[in-house]
Amino acid sequence: MLILQTLTVQPLHGYAIAQQIELLSDAVLSVEQGSLYPALERLQKRGWVTSRWGESPTGRRARYYTLTAAGRRQLGDEISDFDRVLLAINRVMRRA
Amino acid sequence: MRLLDVLRYRLRVLLHPARHASELDEEIRFHLSLEAMQREHAARGAVSGTDAGWAARRRFGNLTTTKEEAREMAGLGFFDTTEQDVRFALRSFRRAPGFTAVAVLTLAVGIGANTAIFSAVNAMLLRPLPFEAPERLIQVSLTVPPRGDSPGRDDIPWSYPKSAVFRKAQTVFKDLTLWSPSEGTIRVGTDAERSTYEVVDGRYLPTLGIRPALGRNFSAEEDATPGGAKVVMLSDAFWQRRFNADSAVIGRSLLLDGGVFTIVGVLPAGFRGISGRAELFASFMSQDARMLNEPQSHGWDMVARLKPDVTPERAKVAVRQLGGVVADAYPNQRIKNERWGAIARELDRTRVDPVVRRSLLVLLGAVGLVLLIACANVANLFLVRAAGRRREIAVRLAIGAGRRRLVRQLLTESVVLSTLGGLASILIAWWGVKLLAALDPTTTLRVRLGGIGAISFQSIRLDPVAFAFAAGLTILTGLVFGLVPALQSTRPSLAGDLKTETARLTGPRGLTSRNALAVVEIALAVVLLAGSGLMIRSLAKLIGVRPGFDAEQVLTMRFNMIGVGQDSLPAFYDQLVTRLASIPGATNVGLADCPPLNGGCNGTILVQHDRPAPAPGTEPDIGVHWVTPDWFATMHVPLKSGRVFANSDRYGTQKVVVVSETAARRYWPGQDPIGRPVSVFQGGFDKDTAYVVGVVGDVRFGTLDSLPDPDVYLSYYQSSRGRVMMFVRTAGDPRSLIGAVRREVAALAPGVPLYDVRPMRERVADAMGYARFSATLLAAFAAVALALAALGTYGVISFGVSQRTKEIGVRVALGATRGNVLRLVVGQGVGLAVVGGALGLAGALATTRVLRSLLYGVAPSDPVTLVSIVAVLMVAVIVASWLPARRAAGVHPAEALRS
Repeated sequence: MLILQTLTVQPLHGYAIAQQIELLSDAVLSVEQGSLYPALERLQKRGWVTSRWGESPTGRRARYYTLTAAGRRQLGDEISDFDRVLLAINRVMRRA
Repeated sequence: MRLLDVLRYRLRVLLHPARHASELDEEIRFHLSLEAMQREHAARGAVSGTDAGWAARRRFGNLTTTKEEAREMAGLGFFDTTEQDVRFALRSFRRAPGFTAVAVLTLAVGIGANTAIFSAVNAMLLRPLPFEAPERLIQVSLTVPPRGDSPGRDDIPWSYPKSAVFRKAQTVFKDLTLWSPSEGTIRVGTDAERSTYEVVDGRYLPTLGIRPALGRNFSAEEDATPGGAKVVMLSDAFWQRRFNADSAVIGRSLLLDGGVFTIVGVLPAGFRGISGRAELFASFMSQDARMLNEPQSHGWDMVARLKPDVTPERAKVAVRQLGGVVADAYPNQRIKNERWGAIARELDRTRVDPVVRRSLLVLLGAVGLVLLIACANVANLFLVRAAGRRREIAVRLAIGAGRRRLVRQLLTESVVLSTLGGLASILIAWWGVKLLAALDPTTTLRVRLGGIGAISFQSIRLDPVAFAFAAGLTILTGLVFGLVPALQSTRPSLAGDLKTETARLTGPRGLTSRNALAVVEIALAVVLLAGSGLMIRSLAKLIGVRPGFDAEQVLTMRFNMIGVGQDSLPAFYDQLVTRLASIPGATNVGLADCPPLNGGCNGTILVQHDRPAPAPGTEPDIGVHWVTPDWFATMHVPLKSGRVFANSDRYGTQKVVVVSETAARRYWPGQDPIGRPVSVFQGGFDKDTAYVVGVVGDVRFGTLDSLPDPDVYLSYYQSSRGRVMMFVRTAGDPRSLIGAVRREVAALAPGVPLYDVRPMRERVADAMGYARFSATLLAAFAAVALALAALGTYGVISFGVSQRTKEIGVRVALGATRGNVLRLVVGQGVGLAVVGGALGLAGALATTRVLRSLLYGVAPSDPVTLVSIVAVLMVAVIVASWLPARRAAGVHPAEALRS
């Protein structure tokens, strides 16, 4: 979900996605960066993300990932699910 | 859209796994270098490039795991695992070459035989007919109700006038055509040859959906009036062979049975008509107008194409009604109350004779059983192997391998093995298909077997369909024989297997399933043995049939005298017989119009002037044969009473006939037929009264397995007939005289082609072709099955013995004799055989019924066959268990206990 979220603005390459996630979550959610790549494969297999090779600002070849329409829909679903869960947690916390 | 994305991704990954991997590498390198750069930059030179690189690696995590996970996620994990398993399987097979060889060979034989037989089934029964939309083609025939003791028929061809009524009245067919296969002498320039052709009308090609490759089809005018234009179309093969594919052939002419025909078209390559053998296609209306206009002259097959919106079922109903219309238009003149009908059936249904269809299906079933037995055998081998690997598997389970994963690996092993078998089977299938095409039991039996010539054993070949069949079979067998051992050997029972190597090896369950497999093998083998035993007994009975003549050392060949005056024929035959008899090595010469075992000859009605005329429709039938006086002596047909023809029985002298024993018995029961006055409605014997002068032994002119019909013989010297087959009895090899006979005939009748040149002995062999074909193949399958079953039994018993060495040692130590041990082990085998045999016999009784129509003189439950196969089975099993039993009996107690 985080990966999909990072791609909403523009297509990014793998390293940039890792950076974004770290930035967005204030380094709280910084897992091993390597685990990003299997996740990207899985998203491609689901059809939520596509990839193509392009040139990075440094001039090297890099693979850019783009959110697909299906991916955007999926993100919407996940966010609303997430929101619902968050809402529930908040209610419980407030009552406690 | 999403689907498209997914598909594109999957395809890229699956089609270019190596590229996928290298791209991933590149991407990760890119990632790492950026991270390292970032760190170097952040530290402002406080860290070296290498250190930054290492830090980046640490931050990234385990490189290899990441790559593996990515591959797994991409859906390539399946392939990685499979590749590993396949490698492992191949390595372990290399370590056990004996096991591998036996298993692969067994499977190769099983799959190969199945593929070969399937190719035959595919070619003969399944492959679509070589016409456009063949499923829309319908064959329409006339039907005759049963009369007296002659059964009804539903395959009567049409006469032209009847077909015209039908054509006018029908509304269900888009197109319909009349055709008839024929044989004649074709002359191009000075070259004459005997060829097969079809006489077809102008609607033939449109009905079948074929267009001429060159020139044109017969025109509507050429198709209009009987006795009209003599035009012909050539098959591609004939055009290539006789005209060197000259495109200027249109408009030229050739001689067909003496008539001048103009060539109007050439047909596409490969098209040989419905008969499958036509060299030429002659115009329908070129036929004799008197023949075409005769309503009772039935000689034309009708094939029709359904209208687009008409179902075959509707057409069948419509044709039945139309049959009544035709019968009203042409009522039976001779038998007033007999009404003919019409029947439609899919052309595809008529493609092969029912006997061929049934034989092929029986063979397919039999060969399927062989494969099952092969599977059982290999499964058994696997079980034995798995028992040996119990420890390995137990260790794997103990250190955490999932059962699913292990089962998958074992199944991969069995599929790899079956794939090896499948590859090897291609060779066997290729050879089998060649053999089947060569064995072809139909070529020589066309007279007897119905069906469409375009479908023949010659069309059997290994095509993509057959390969697909083999591939499917391969994978299926791999799963079938692999599943049981795989599931069973991975059943977790850790502790026991880990602890001791021997005690649990034969675990009761393992032994039971191996015994069960052996019992199944034996039972299946019994079913096959029963089937082949019946076919062999039936064949033996056929061989034992006395056909009524002596076929050894007789040369036969045919020719037709056309365009010779009928009156000059007797003198010509006289000369011919004299010249042939003077050939050195020829001992006797006779002529006859139709050879024995021909599948039937022509016949007519016999009139007995010495008794009251029978009611119309019940006149006695009789087969009519023309012979020269010496024919009986040449063929060693015995004279029973009276005399045979004399050379002095000529035109102008008293007409005489000779009858067969069956005719004498049936038509003059308890009386002497000699001197009886008769007429025969053929050969000019219908008006005058002829007298019976002799009775000869029965000759089977039809088939070996049908009783001889009543026959009457006329002399060529009293009744002219242009159709001749020469029978030359020789002192030595009949073939050695072929050249001399050809020369003599050429000298007397230049330009008359001789054909169908063969020793009589071959004709007899051909008459048994079908029975021999099925019996040979079934026997071969049964032999393989028996061998496999014996091997399986041997495997089970000998494995049991090797596991029970200790126990046997104890028994011997306690005083068991060698005989006791032998009995113990062989008894186990006999036990398997008894159970398997009983099951098999029950199966055989249930299934051999399908053989009924293929058998001659044997009942499907023939006790002699069943008893003898049980005996064969017992012998095989006892031999198979005797070998391990001897080994067991040789066990030295001390050694056995110590080991």
